[in-house]
Formats: sequence, C-alpha cells, structure tokens
Amino acid sequence: MLVRDAQRGSAVAFEQLFRRHWPRAYRAALLVVGDAAAAEDIAQESFLAAVRALDRFDRRRPFGPWLHRIVVNRAIDWSRARSLRREIAAEHAPEPQAPEGSEPEHAHGLAAGLAGLAPENRAVIVLRYLLDYTPGEIAELLDLPRGTVNSRLRRGLDRLELSLREESS
Amino acid sequence: MSERTVRRLIDAVPDDPGAEERAWAIVQAAHAVREPVPRRPPMRAVLVLAATAVAVTAAAVSPPGRAVVHAIRTSIGIAGAQPALFRLPAPGRVLVSGPGGAWVVAADGSKRRLGDFGEASWSPHALFIVAASRNELAALEPNGKVHWTLARSDIRFPRWGGSRTDTRVSYLSQGRLHVVGGNGVGDIALGKAAPVAPVWQPGARRALAYVTSRGRVTVLGGNGHGVRFSALPSPGPRALAWSPDGGSLVLAARTRVVVYNVATTHQQAFPIAGVGAVAFAPDGTLTLLRGRTVLELRNSVVRTLFTAPGSLTGLAWSPDGRWLLTGLPQADQWIFLQRSGGRRVLAVSHLRTQLGGLPVLDGWVAGT
Repeated sequence: MLVRDAQRGSAVAFEQLFRRHWPRAYRAALLVVGDAAAAEDIAQESFLAAVRALDRFDRRRPFGPWLHRIVVNRAIDWSRARSLRREIAAEHAPEPQAPEGSEPEHAHGLAAGLAGLAPENRAVIVLRYLLDYTPGEIAELLDLPRGTVNSRLRRGLDRLELSLREESS
Repeated sequence: MSERTVRRLIDAVPDDPGAEERAWAIVQAAHAVREPVPRRPPMRAVLVLAATAVAVTAAAVSPPGRAVVHAIRTSIGIAGAQPALFRLPAPGRVLVSGPGGAWVVAADGSKRRLGDFGEASWSPHALFIVAASRNELAALEPNGKVHWTLARSDIRFPRWGGSRTDTRVSYLSQGRLHVVGGNGVGDIALGKAAPVAPVWQPGARRALAYVTSRGRVTVLGGNGHGVRFSALPSPGPRALAWSPDGGSLVLAARTRVVVYNVATTHQQAFPIAGVGAVAFAPDGTLTLLRGRTVLELRNSVVRTLFTAPGSLTGLAWSPDGRWLLTGLPQADQWIFLQRSGGRRVLAVSHLRTQLGGLPVLDGWVAGT
C-alpha cells in the first residue's frame, strides 16, 4: 500500500516508507563498513537508487529485501574498494566507533570482531542477525550457495566469540 | 557465541538521528522530482472517461489550445501518429538518453547510438556531448568518438557550459556538485546538491546555477568559486533553467515557479504547483510542463498550450523556435507541437523499439 502510494507520488507514503526502513538500512551499512560517514552515504544512496527504480518495483514483493539487497551490496563494494585503496596501514587506522550503551566493551568487541571478517562475511552476519533473514533468503539475496552462507555464519560467530574473549582478557 | 548474544550486541549499536534527517532531505527531494506512476482507474471508469474526456478537456483549455485537443484520441495517445521517426519537423539534431543508452537523432530520422549512457547533454556549441553512466563521465563527439572519461560514483546530471575556448563540465556525484574542465582535467568537488540538474548561464559568463541540498538556488562563478547569488530555500525543487539571454533563472518547485533576476536579485513567484520541467524558447518565452499539460508563461500570464491524454515528460525546443517536442510515455510517443502557423500536432510512435527504451529528451540543437 505504501509503495503503491509512493509510486503514485504521495510524499506522505514515501516518508513513512523511508522512516520505517532507514534505521535498519543505516545500521546494516554501518556494521558492514564500520564507518559512520560511509554508512550514511551508502544508506542514502541506496534510498536514492530505490527512488530511481521505484516505478519498476514489483508491488507484489516486499520492499525491505529489495532495499536491503541494495544496501548490503553497496556496503560490500565500498569495503572492497577501501581495502584496495587503503592509505595507511591497517594497524594505524582509527578504531571503529564504540557504541554507547549498556555493553560498551562487548559492543567494541563486536565492532572489532566484525572488522576482522571479510566484507562478504560481515554482510552475512548482518543479514542474519540484524535483518533476520533465513540462510536460504540470504543465499538468494547475495546469490550464494546456501552451504556457503551457513559456513560464513559459523565462521563469523566463532570469530566474534574470539574477539569478545580477547576483549575481556 | 550464541545467536542471542550477537543479536543483543547488534541492538546495542547506536543510531545517528542526524544521519536520518540529512538523508531524508536528499531522498525526499529525489522522490518529489520523479514523475509519479499514473493511477490506473477501474475499467468501468475508463469507459465513462473515454466518452467524456474530449468534452471536458476542450472546455478546460484556452482557445489556442482547443484546436489541438481535437487531434487527440483520448485512450491511446495522438491519433495518426507515424509508426516510426522518419524525420524531424525542423532542422537540427535531438539528443536523448535513457535505458537504451544515449542517441543522437538527426533531422532525416537517422539515429546514432553513443553508448550505455543514461544521461547526456550538449556542449554549448553542440560540438561535443557529455554523457554519464552510473560510474563514468565521458566527453564525446556526436559521432561517438570518446575524448576523455572520468570514473566517479553515482553520477547524475552532466552539463557542459562556457565559451568556444574555455568550457567547464558540471555533474553530481554521490549528491555532491562537481566541476571539471572541458578537457577532463581539474575536477573539484563542491557542496551537497539537491537532485536537480545544475545549469550553466548561456554565453561566456560561465556562471553555474544549482540547488543546494537545503533547497537554495545558488549561482557560482564558473570555476565553482564565489557565490554570486543565493536565494531563500524553496521546498521540493524540481527543475532549473536560464533564459537564453542569461538574465533570468527559473526554478520549478513543488508548489510554485520562481523567476529570479540574478543581477538585481529581484524574484517573482507564480503559484503553479507540480511543474516537472521548464524550457525557454529561443525567443525567451518560458514553457512549463505540468503533468499532462504544457503551459506558457509570458508577461506574467499563464496559458495552456496543449493537454495530452497522459502525463508528459521532457521539453525541447527546435533551434528555430517553431516546434516544441515532448514525450508521452503511456502511448510510447513523441509529440511535436507547432508553435505558430497551423498549430499542428505531429506524433511518432514506437520509440521504445527504435531507441531501446523510452528516452529522456536532452536537447535539440542546430547543425547536421
């Protein structure tokens, strides 16, 4: 309903759509790229891409997965590009921003743990545990075999656990 | 690590409300400028409308527009349309771009595809074309020969301005205004811009007008330095255009059309809502596109030139100022409106087939 009205030009419907999907789109980008400014750009550009393609969007399909595919793929592309044009040694790069809240140490460990994963693996973790997609859906979104998704999830969780242990010790 | 723990940690990652608001300002402007998908009425309503539309439209339009309304077949576009573009009704070349790439259409109807470019525009003297795909800006000759390219991400609105000897190209990349020399050298990034095509002042003055991300019409010096003019914000900016003499600048915004005199900073606002495209005829007459209607604004008086059976997209004047070209996507047609003489309406069909997708009109210039 919202998508249909937004396609027909309703600014109110489009704002509802944006407000509903922005928080998770931004957070997904942030967790994949680990850089707040880049995450903002990626989420914003993903919405702009969605606006450009809104007329072609098939309303029988949910809007969220369509947008999330754009966000996550752009975040992966950005992370790959950054690794190719890194200007300073990784050990001198600024630490990912530690989130404020009840678990700063663990959250810092999460950021560090995610930073240690390849962008594709971070994306799998984000799709599974932030955006709540099943492994089958992730496989479809990222065009991967389901077994690859499962192994990346397992490796990702192991890596995160290791980071948190190192963080506490 | 348990899945529950990961979810808890992910939930603890903070949001940035400022980011949401900044993005919303850009994204809502992009949504505001797009052409809405036409509402599809129920079948019964279509039958009723088909019977009454001609009478209603004829009653609504001004006398000059009434004649052309009779030429309209209300359900499937313009009656008697040519099945293909055999020739343009006036001399010159039309540049178009879209899903089928960028094309130059010659007066004799021949078409040359320039490449996979979604947007393009002419250089000031139509010697070159600047074209953009998503991540590449390219300067080409109309015969397709590429002179230079520049890799940038999310490019939009490439525009070329300046004199014969000194030109600049502007474009938006990731929502930020850029200016680069006409030789592809010296690219500089400027401020955040709204998704509205920047426009170069005609002539050798090289001033560049654009809309900032906060909706302010701003005029910069040719190198992108020095703000020469800055207007108060206008919500929902959609299109900008300079008058042919470079003295006036027009902004079409969501609820109004504003004409600025850049030299005196005087402005005049007209409460015409929903204008999506603006174009000046060579004699300085301002033409506006609002939904399915083409309007003319002259001496502060607005009148209807033409009403179509569906939403129109794009406006381009022939170089001799005698014909106005617009698109009727629903019918897959181009419509040529004769401005003087018999006020003829010519239509051409099957553009998607001929140009690989319905293109956007990027300009009609003199020359062969």
